[in-house]
Amino acid sequence: MSAPSDLAVASHPPSGAAAAAASSSSGLTFKLHPLVIVNVSDHHTRVKAQAACSGDGTSAAPGQPPRVFGCVIGVQRGRTVEIFNSFELVLDPVSGTLDRAFLEKKQELYKKVFPDFYVLGWYSTGSDVQDADMQIHKALMDVNESPVYLLLNPAINLSQKDLPVTIHESELHVIDGSPQLIFVRANYTIETVEAERISVDHVAHLKPSDGGSAATQLAAHLTGIHSAIKMLNSRVRVIHQYLVSMQKGDMPLDNSLLRQVSSLVRRLPAMESEKFQDDFLMVCYSAKLII
Amino acid sequence: MEATSSASMARQTWELENSIQATSSDPDALDAIYRYDEATQTRAQQEKPWVNDPHHFRRAKISALALLKMVVHARAGGTIEVMGLMQGKCEGDAIIVMDAFALPVEGTETRVNAQADAYEYMVEYSTINKQAGRLENVVGWYHSHPGYGCWLSGIDVSTQMLNQQFTEPFLAVVIDPTRTVSAGKVEIGAFRTYPKDYKPPDDPVSEYQTIPLNKIEDFGVHCKQYYALDITYFKSSLDSHLLDLLWNKYWVNTLSSSPLLGNRDYVAGQIFDLADKLEQAEGQLAHSRFGMLMPSQRKKEPEESPLAKVTRDSSKITAEQVHGLMSQVIKDILFNSVHPSSKASTSATDSSGPVPMIES
Repeated sequence: MSAPSDLAVASHPPSGAAAAAASSSSGLTFKLHPLVIVNVSDHHTRVKAQAACSGDGTSAAPGQPPRVFGCVIGVQRGRTVEIFNSFELVLDPVSGTLDRAFLEKKQELYKKVFPDFYVLGWYSTGSDVQDADMQIHKALMDVNESPVYLLLNPAINLSQKDLPVTIHESELHVIDGSPQLIFVRANYTIETVEAERISVDHVAHLKPSDGGSAATQLAAHLTGIHSAIKMLNSRVRVIHQYLVSMQKGDMPLDNSLLRQVSSLVRRLPAMESEKFQDDFLMVCYSAKLII
Repeated sequence: MEATSSASMARQTWELENSIQATSSDPDALDAIYRYDEATQTRAQQEKPWVNDPHHFRRAKISALALLKMVVHARAGGTIEVMGLMQGKCEGDAIIVMDAFALPVEGTETRVNAQADAYEYMVEYSTINKQAGRLENVVGWYHSHPGYGCWLSGIDVSTQMLNQQFTEPFLAVVIDPTRTVSAGKVEIGAFRTYPKDYKPPDDPVSEYQTIPLNKIEDFGVHCKQYYALDITYFKSSLDSHLLDLLWNKYWVNTLSSSPLLGNRDYVAGQIFDLADKLEQAEGQLAHSRFGMLMPSQRKKEPEESPLAKVTRDSSKITAEQVHGLMSQVIKDILFNSVHPSSKASTSATDSSGPVPMIES
């Protein structure tokens, strides 16, 4: 992959890598579905396995898995961009650009099955945004005026706590007197539907798929809730520790953070009206009728 | 952190108890299944070990990606049956499903060969995919039975028999997205039909399923014509890593899911069905008082009386209700039984107070 990036470096001044650290100001909220993450990961694993098997190490640098490219699709409603699904794309190794005919064909096929989804952007794997990526990004701009770029870092780092997935948008910034497009990072949240959550849970924790007795099923369900509560507890403790150390003076006072914590705390109890209590008891009663 | 190590220990004990084979943690070995070896596949195609043994394939291994795609597609269809194809390969007595894709046809029970319409789509999709590095062939089809269980209906059986005659190896998978959401676990079944004149040995009925009354006849007529395969799932090392990290964001959704609310319609339907079944069982019980002269010696296992079946159905509904109710009650305790005290910093610990069982 050295030839295309040389070309890219020659045509664009080397500002891409540094600017990727800036954060987005477009005000769009991004929601990502876990299916996309699993899709990209599967694509990467497949290509890596095939490359390892065929023993062809000429194109990729030794020790580095080949990069994969694909398109992400989803829905954009107002300021919210929700990424539901993705599919693979073919990169022309000579020119470093995407195969347009392929993209269009695939888009057509997916439109038939999921008529609501539009092309929202593209994805790739790698540890950081590279200069050649801007070319591909620009090429996609005629499909969607402001595509998103999803980068997945396939390196398995066991000490990592955060998902190695970053979403980038492109923004026009004036650098050194000339307007240029650079990548800026955007925040995203993970969004899911109930069915997706259950299957991700199922595969992640390898729950027993057969019927089992009612007791084991109940145990499984409660274990899931228990782990979720444990997470909540550990997060709350982290906040608590932070506040205590702030009180002691170990950490500098951060007023905006204090305001956020105080608003969080004031949200409890979540619902205190009498009507809610009545409704809640009614739900308990009717559920118990069946039990 | 202590939380993560005890969580991993809990998971390991869980896996041990459920005899899930610990696959080797070597990432290369785990990912080896993703390699597609053209030569082995063509050899298997030529040998055709399944021609002689109708029971040749016993296991189905489904990848995490395929499962996720199928469930999401099935759920997106709502109450309409949807279908799609699966791509993969076969290995010994297992059919391995690597990926799945949806077909733009809406299956209804009256269409005999819904796949005829989708051939063009399928051919186009497969050729395009080969370009993109997805080398596997189509190895099966899946469709959804929203709300009425995982089994093959009469039409499904005839479609599958046709497939098994012409496009072997082929697997049929059925997913029930409604039951998945209501029960909190994935409802999926993998089947292969027996050839027309084959008399299967009497295997024990694998797992009892509740089937709504209006479908039970269709189920009963054809249930001996196919057999179920054991389903196991696999994921790559990168998948496992990502899914672990995903949990860091996901626990919010687990805690905030409300199964009682989401499944209202389905539960109401189930209860109606249960009432009908009770009436039927009552009628049968009244008749059998006169007919209980000779115990039937023909079957190896005595068939359950209808009342016993109804009991099982009702306990299944009950279990699901218990799950939903527990989630609601836990949420209530966690978030509602706290009262703001004067100091902002101490009420953070108060919120975890009413749940004394949590030890980290």
